[in-house]
Amino acid sequence: MAPAALLEEFGPADAREREESWRYSRPALRALAQQPFVAADPQAAVDDPLRERFAWAHTDALRAVFVNGVFSASNSDLSALATVVRLRHAATDRTILTISGDCAEPLHLVYLSLPGAAPSRWSAALDIEATRGNAQLIEHHLGDPGSDVLGALRSRVTVSAGATLRTTTLCDLADSASLYRRTDTVLTDDATLLSTHVLLGGRLQRHDIGVELAGARSRLDSRGVFALRGRQHVDTHMDVRHLARDTACDVLWRGVADERARGIFHGAITVAKGADGADAQLSNKNLLLSALAEIDTQPALEIHADEVKAAHGATVGQLDERALFYLRSRGIGLTEARRMLVAAFAAVALDRVEHAWLRAHLDTLLAPRVGAERA
Amino acid sequence: MLKIENLHVRIAGKEILKGLSLTVNAGEVHAIMGPNGAGKSTLGNVLAGREGYEVTAGSVEYAGSNLLELEPEQRAAAGIFLAFQYPVEIPGVNNTYFLRAALNAQRKVRGEAELDSMQFLKRVREKLAVLQLKDELLHRAVNEGFSGGEKKRNEIFQMALLEPKLAILDETDSGLDIDALKMVADGVNAMRDAARAFVVITHYQRLLDYIVPDFVHVLADGRIVESGDAGLAHKLEEHGYAWVAERKLAHGSLAGAA
Repeated sequence: MAPAALLEEFGPADAREREESWRYSRPALRALAQQPFVAADPQAAVDDPLRERFAWAHTDALRAVFVNGVFSASNSDLSALATVVRLRHAATDRTILTISGDCAEPLHLVYLSLPGAAPSRWSAALDIEATRGNAQLIEHHLGDPGSDVLGALRSRVTVSAGATLRTTTLCDLADSASLYRRTDTVLTDDATLLSTHVLLGGRLQRHDIGVELAGARSRLDSRGVFALRGRQHVDTHMDVRHLARDTACDVLWRGVADERARGIFHGAITVAKGADGADAQLSNKNLLLSALAEIDTQPALEIHADEVKAAHGATVGQLDERALFYLRSRGIGLTEARRMLVAAFAAVALDRVEHAWLRAHLDTLLAPRVGAERA
Repeated sequence: MLKIENLHVRIAGKEILKGLSLTVNAGEVHAIMGPNGAGKSTLGNVLAGREGYEVTAGSVEYAGSNLLELEPEQRAAAGIFLAFQYPVEIPGVNNTYFLRAALNAQRKVRGEAELDSMQFLKRVREKLAVLQLKDELLHRAVNEGFSGGEKKRNEIFQMALLEPKLAILDETDSGLDIDALKMVADGVNAMRDAARAFVVITHYQRLLDYIVPDFVHVLADGRIVESGDAGLAHKLEEHGYAWVAERKLAHGSLAGAA
C-alpha cells in the first residue's frame, strides 16, 4: 500500500491538516508503508509466554481477546461479566461495548498483534457507550515479535449525562509492531472521562485522541506516559474541545526517550465561543536519556470564550544532575539513581490509576524501560 | 583519616582552590570559616565527588587510599557524608524508600547484611526523635515541600541514620533559626566520638557556640590562611575576615598556607 493511502486512512481528512499532523512521523510512516502488507491472520495461535503477559488474575473472567483485530472466543473468558456490561460483535471487525452501571472491576480488552510469515495488517472498530454509573475498562495492546504487524483501531466513545468512564490504555508493543489508534470521545452534561495511557515499544505508534467536552460541566482527566528506547517511535496527538459551559480538562503527560527513540506529543486544546467558565490545564514534560533520542512537544491553546482559566506548559530536558549527585552522595549507585529518578518522573502520570494491582502491573512494565539495564 | 595536600581545583576553567592543605584525624571536629567565594563549598563538593570539579594538582587521602579515584557512591560507602548547603528536592522519590535504598546500598558494599523494613524503621524512629522531625516527612518525596529548616534537619537526620565516619556539613546553619540550630548541633554532638570526624563549613561563628570545634581554619582565596583553636572563631566574629587578610599583609605574605 502506498504511503499516501496510509496517510489518508490514518489522519485528518483535510490534506493540509494531514500534512501538518504527520510532520514528525512521516519518515517513519513512509518506511513502514514501503512494505507490502497482507491481511493478518485472526486464527493465529496464542502461545503461553504471550498469554502470561495478559492473563492477569484480577481480570480472569472479565477478558475479551482480539487476535489481529477479530474477537477470539476461545481465548476470551467473560463469565464474570456484570449484567450492566454488554459486548456485541456487530461485524467480525466491529465491536460495541455498552456499560450501563457501576463496575467493581474493569473489563479487560486485549488486542493481540500476532505476526505472520509476511508483513501483515489488521483494522478494527470499537464503539463504547458508558450510559450510567462508574464504568471502567482496560485496553491492552501487545503481541509477539516477528515480521511487521500494523494494527489500526478506530474508536467512538460516548459518556452519557452524569456517567464516569475510567480507561487505562496499555500499549506494550513488540519493536516490529505498529499501531494506529484513533479515539473520539464525546462527553455530555456532567460526564467524566478519566483516561491513562501507558505507551511502550513499537516501531510506530500513533495515537489520535479527540475529546469533545460537549455537555455542561463535563470533565476530562487525561494522563499518559511513554517510555521508549532503541528506535521506538510514539506520536500522540490530543485534540480537546471545550464546547459547553463550565467544562474542565486536566491533561498531564510524561515522555522518556533513550537511545535513538523518538517521541512526539501534540496537545491542542480549543475553548469554543460560548464555552465560558472553562478550565483547561495541560502539562507535558519530557526526559531525554541519550544524545540521539528526540522528543518534540507542541502545546496549542486556542481560546474563543471569556472567563476561561487556562494553563499549559511543555518541557524537554535531561536528568537533573544535582538530584543524581544527591542520591549518589548517599551511597546509591549511578544506575539505580538514574532508575529511581526516571521512574519517579514517569510515575507522576499514573496518579489516576485506581486499582493497586493495576498500578503494580504498570510499574512492573515501566521499570525496565526507565534505564535500569543501561550502563 | 583525611589528608588533603596542596589541593588545586578548577571549575569551568577557573581556579577556586589554590593549594589547600588540611589534615583531619578521627575524633576531631574541624571548622572551616571564610568569606563568600573563598572555596568553602567547593571543598565539600570535591570531597563528596561531585562532577565538574577538575583537580589540577595535589592529593586527597582518605583512610589510606586515594579518595579522588572513587565514585560518589563509593565514597559514601567508605563513610563520607556531605550535608548539602542546598538539599535537592526530588519529586516522586519517597523519602523512606530513598533512605533505605541508600543505607542498604552502603551496607551491601561494606559486606554487611541489608536491613529489612522492620529493622530499618526502628532505626529511623530513634534518629527522628533526636532531630524532632515529624514522621510525616518520611512519607513525602525527598525534600519536596520541606521548609528551609526541615531540609537542613533532614540532612542531619540522614547523617544520623547513615552513621558516616567523616561528615562534612556545608553551611548547615545558614537559614536556621536558633531552635533549629540547636537541634542540628544536638544531632552532631550526639554522634561525636573517637572514631568519627566532622568538617563543619560555616560562614558564621554562631553554630560553633553549639558545636565546639577542636580546630578552626580560615579559608580565603582558595587556601587555608589561618588555623587555631575554637578561640579563633571568636576573634573572627569580632574583627571580620578582613582582619585575617590584614594580618597576613602585615606579615608580608598572603601565600603562607597552613
